[in-house]
Amino acid sequence: MDTAHFVIEKPERWDSSFDPDMTEADVNRLLEIRPFSEMNSGKFAKRIPLRGILKNDARIRRFKNGEIIVRAGDYGSSAFLVLAGNARVVLDPGLPVSLLGQRKSQHKSLFQIVAQLWTNPRDPEVRTPAELEQDAGVKVGGEFTGVFLQDVPRILDEHLTATMSPGDFFGEIAALSRSARTSTIFAVGDATEMLEIRWQGLRDLLRFDDHLRHHIDRIYRERTLATHLREIPIFRRLNDEQLKRVIEQTQFGTYGDYDWSGDYKRLVKEGTRSPEKETIIAQEGDYPNGVVLIRSGFARLSQKFGHGHRTLNYLSAGSEFGLREIAHNWAHKDTVPFQHSLRVIGYTHVIVVPAPVMEEIVLPTVPRDQLPEFFTPAELAGTEQSESQQKLDAGAKIGPELMEFLTENRYFNGTSTMVIDMERCTRCDDCVRACASANEGNPRFLRHGQTTGRIMVANSCMHCADPVCLIGCPTGAIHRGQTGGEVVVNQATCIGCSICSNNCPYEAIRMVEIREEDGAFMVDKDMKPIVKATKCDLCSDQLGGPACERSCPHGALKRMDMNNLDSFAKWLQR
Amino acid sequence: MSGFVRRRLLWGSLLLAATLAVISAYATWAGATTRGAYLSGWLLFGLMVLLTGYNWFKKIPYLPLGRSEVWLQFHIYAGLFTGVLFLLHVRGRWPTGWFEIVLTVLYVLVMVSGVLGILISRGWPKRLSARGGEVPFERIPIVRRQLREQAEALALNSVAEARSATIAEFHARRLHAFFAGPQNFLSHVFEIRLPLNALLNELGDLNRFLNEQERKVTAQLVTLVRQKDGLDYQHALQLTLRLWLFIHIPVTYSLMLCALAHIVLVYGFSAGVR
Repeated sequence: MDTAHFVIEKPERWDSSFDPDMTEADVNRLLEIRPFSEMNSGKFAKRIPLRGILKNDARIRRFKNGEIIVRAGDYGSSAFLVLAGNARVVLDPGLPVSLLGQRKSQHKSLFQIVAQLWTNPRDPEVRTPAELEQDAGVKVGGEFTGVFLQDVPRILDEHLTATMSPGDFFGEIAALSRSARTSTIFAVGDATEMLEIRWQGLRDLLRFDDHLRHHIDRIYRERTLATHLREIPIFRRLNDEQLKRVIEQTQFGTYGDYDWSGDYKRLVKEGTRSPEKETIIAQEGDYPNGVVLIRSGFARLSQKFGHGHRTLNYLSAGSEFGLREIAHNWAHKDTVPFQHSLRVIGYTHVIVVPAPVMEEIVLPTVPRDQLPEFFTPAELAGTEQSESQQKLDAGAKIGPELMEFLTENRYFNGTSTMVIDMERCTRCDDCVRACASANEGNPRFLRHGQTTGRIMVANSCMHCADPVCLIGCPTGAIHRGQTGGEVVVNQATCIGCSICSNNCPYEAIRMVEIREEDGAFMVDKDMKPIVKATKCDLCSDQLGGPACERSCPHGALKRMDMNNLDSFAKWLQR
Repeated sequence: MSGFVRRRLLWGSLLLAATLAVISAYATWAGATTRGAYLSGWLLFGLMVLLTGYNWFKKIPYLPLGRSEVWLQFHIYAGLFTGVLFLLHVRGRWPTGWFEIVLTVLYVLVMVSGVLGILISRGWPKRLSARGGEVPFERIPIVRRQLREQAEALALNSVAEARSATIAEFHARRLHAFFAGPQNFLSHVFEIRLPLNALLNELGDLNRFLNEQERKVTAQLVTLVRQKDGLDYQHALQLTLRLWLFIHIPVTYSLMLCALAHIVLVYGFSAGVR
């Protein structure tokens, strides 16, 4: 029988502040700068005061000329406010990877991998003292070495860039939507000073006071919207004056809850997960009053079918809705209403360009052959399907039942969803054993989950495009890996609060009581067991990728990106 | 052409080419000599070592040795190729000595269990999916116990509620054993519904002796019997999917030990033979 004799302190929020060197003087200085100077500190909760957020969830960083602040493709969980100096954002097509010095994730060496044969502990969930050692915060300055662009003048010469000056705010969408950075931003000059706010602090700043939200929207409209619109083919031909007029009339919309998993779980419990319960962004049959551009998050594209709604596809960041109808109405005398409905499934940011703006300013600049396909009477009567409609209808490729299943259960969110073909799976559990072997004897998933037809989605972390498990983690222990984007748990800073596990809509995170190397349970001062969150990390430290997929003898198990339904369809028809 | 068909064609072509190559090589220069038996023997043994290694490969999934799916394909087709080598090695004759007979029987057992295993592995999962109501193998005893307890409770309660022991007696006579453990293994494997139909008929016949209240109880019992039958089906098929390996692997190791002894004996008694 194991005895408990190892006592450690139970970590708490702000035990590990973002920068331990942040001083009260720094906080006082920040409180004099917009938008913090405009915030009402009385609106903040007593447990999470404005000063506390700035002291513990923010840090001041100084960058040298050419030093990269954020890199396109990296996963970051913080946003930046320019305090002094200048930075440049590299516009499309961006810098080549060779210039960016992108870091690879840390793999075990071949010897360490072979050594697992004899080093895997006998007891489950053993943690070594080294694994539980906390960082003292990331050191800023001193030995901190950033990544520098080598020839800044040449880069400025050869690439399109935009300047960011004091007061500018960036990185908040990537931080809050838990997505990859879309652009590279680097410092110009040696006096660039930034305030970096980790997402937990950013979330609280946005929750308690509207000033930051207004500040971000204003800056986005002034600085970034033009770049964003320029990247969309239909807006590419606008001159500066026309673009300015479009930007002035563009509207922003945010739908759904930041913590959407709570609502979703409630709907599941009530058994009322039908599309009718979802918030509508645009409804089929309504007059098309604007083109909806999805900035982040997901939306369900559906069409009336019988007395219900059939899901055609789910749209993600970069997709548009309603352009075909508006272009048709502009070029014809008749008025075609929205042919589909767009519903929120998660937390979705959209940009709406009103129909009159599209008709007066945008569409006249587009050559006829580059306009979307117009509707034919037969298509409107429902007797034939156009090429555009076929492209949109992912349900036709993978089957309508599977499409509904993926949408109803929010599996579109997965970038590495564990899909098992139950007509090939022999239930041998080689995948579970392989997972356990690669994780010190602890399997990180259950070969069990929701099933439709021959497809099962196992209860394993899907490394979501929008990982809601990150919401609410008080210490940021659950985070994205820097380059692979895999969602991982830092065992040192996890306080075992179960928020991530409760947030996860897919039951992919398990809370476990951890042990010492001799098998004894670890306990805190009150003799309560120390609990940690555990989940699949996609074997990020192993060579060769996820052990579960490699170990399946029958090719029944596959990690799939559910945003690439073409490859899913190909796998289904293999 | 689907990916699986393409894969079968590729591996099938490789098997055919290897078979033709080894047969023609054997026929042209090795067939009539003792050297031919040594060559085919060593080739066969080497391949058997590789095939046995697949089991070890599965135990070290963290080594970057490629996908198990590819290794299984190699295992299947190389396994079939050993059949060709075996026939060449014994020159198509049935062995005479007892040790050779043991070797042959072990080889045949490994080959047959392997082929059966592949057939089961390809066919059973489709049957399990088509039947639905799947329960993970480890949870089957738990679900079975729940069903048994529900059936017992229904039968016992019916005595007090209907003031009649007809259902309880039927439960004791027919249902108790049915719910106690896995039943009708072979019927499930061969997809025969006779035992289930017989039991349901008996339950149906019982209705003529029951009042309205008791008939509601038998309707619930029918549902439980169907659920238990489904659970037994899952148990039978999932057990078979695991069981064939418990024959294939131990017999493989026995064969390897005998093959090693065979090599020692051959070299021990081969003085002067070249």
